[in-house]
Amino acid sequence: MTMADDTEDVELDFAADEQERARRSAVIRHPLASFFHLFFRVVAIVVYLLCDWISKSFASCFVLIIALLSFDFWSVKNVTGRLLVGLRWWNQIDEDGRSLWVFEAKKLGASRGSNTGTEAEARIFWLGLIICPLIWTFFFFTSLFSLKIKWLSLVVASISLQAANLYGYLRCKAGGQNGQPPDKCSFSGQHLLQRPDIIFGIL
Amino acid sequence: MAAAEDSRPFAGLSDVSISEDIPVEGDISVPVGSSRRDDELSTLDEPVKETILRDLRAVGNKFVHVLYPKRSSALLRDWDLWGPLLLCVTLALLLQGGAADSDDQGGPQFAEVFVIIWFGSIIITLNSKLLGGTISFFQSLCVLGYCIMPLTVAMAVCRLVLLGGTGMVSFAVRLAVVTASFGWSTFASTAFLTDSQPPNRKALVVYPVFLFYFVIGWMVLTFSPSQ
Repeated sequence: MTMADDTEDVELDFAADEQERARRSAVIRHPLASFFHLFFRVVAIVVYLLCDWISKSFASCFVLIIALLSFDFWSVKNVTGRLLVGLRWWNQIDEDGRSLWVFEAKKLGASRGSNTGTEAEARIFWLGLIICPLIWTFFFFTSLFSLKIKWLSLVVASISLQAANLYGYLRCKAGGQNGQPPDKCSFSGQHLLQRPDIIFGIL
Repeated sequence: MAAAEDSRPFAGLSDVSISEDIPVEGDISVPVGSSRRDDELSTLDEPVKETILRDLRAVGNKFVHVLYPKRSSALLRDWDLWGPLLLCVTLALLLQGGAADSDDQGGPQFAEVFVIIWFGSIIITLNSKLLGGTISFFQSLCVLGYCIMPLTVAMAVCRLVLLGGTGMVSFAVRLAVVTASFGWSTFASTAFLTDSQPPNRKALVVYPVFLFYFVIGWMVLTFSPSQ
């Protein structure tokens, strides 16, 4: 009877094969995701800096940068966030038409057997997430003070795309560390207390 | 005896008891969300191609809903802004005048179209929220953005018509096409947006939408290709 109380998950390592152990002890578990996390953002910044050499037309630079940043937004929100750091955020509309923002984080203890990222990957993720919006903010001021208003519109669009992911993941992280239920922003707070299914992501 | 009993207000309560034979039953269901966790796990582990295809299908579905604006909730429930972004970029490119290296064509510049569409949508959304609408910010942006589609199609048609000449006939055809698509856009977006408004405010919400699509339609109609 006492055995039933003692059901702590013990990792029985003799069942793991070589590949599994290598994967678990690797420095970077998701090389492709880490690469793409940084790729689109950095290329967008490079294109912005070199746009005079790439093409004479403002429109093509604009479209190229916005396309790159859209791909980046989508991949960071849907793929690299959950693979590298186990965080996720989204918006859903419930049946009454109320808007609900859900921020979710994987519980730390459960990441032993799972596929979440390592320390190095987490560092790549957060550095990439924070530094690029700062660079775009710097571009905002340079284009503002040099009065290039056309480029200002592009920079504002870029900042909004990058800052959205930054803000979403920071809220996920804040919710996860305090051990509270994830932040739920909605226009009717009472309704949420009756929705226990939006719980902390326990895996 | 009766007077003494009445003077103690809760006298009868001590006699109250529930027989143990009466079954007390009910249904307390707490959605633990395990099925949803399974969904989450399955979407967490799905290959990236699946995610992309799923999102593309959702966007395509919304385009179809704009074509046949019924009172459905597809645009509202699963909003996304990819469609509006795509339409905005397409419209801005079509309004470029075809010249690749200079931006002073006499038509709207690229960034202007972008700014007009997005700022216009944001202001209309703020207006409807201030009037007490229940629709959320991004849902409204989604609807307004997707309903630009008829005007984008009209722009493409106008470009084709302009290939044939710029005379009175061409202008008449373009006017008809632009007016029809403007009406379609306004009708489609109000079909989605006015449901969330209190009934005496519907006109107050509709007129900015009318102005918004009017400005875009004007840009489409007055477009003239560079020689």
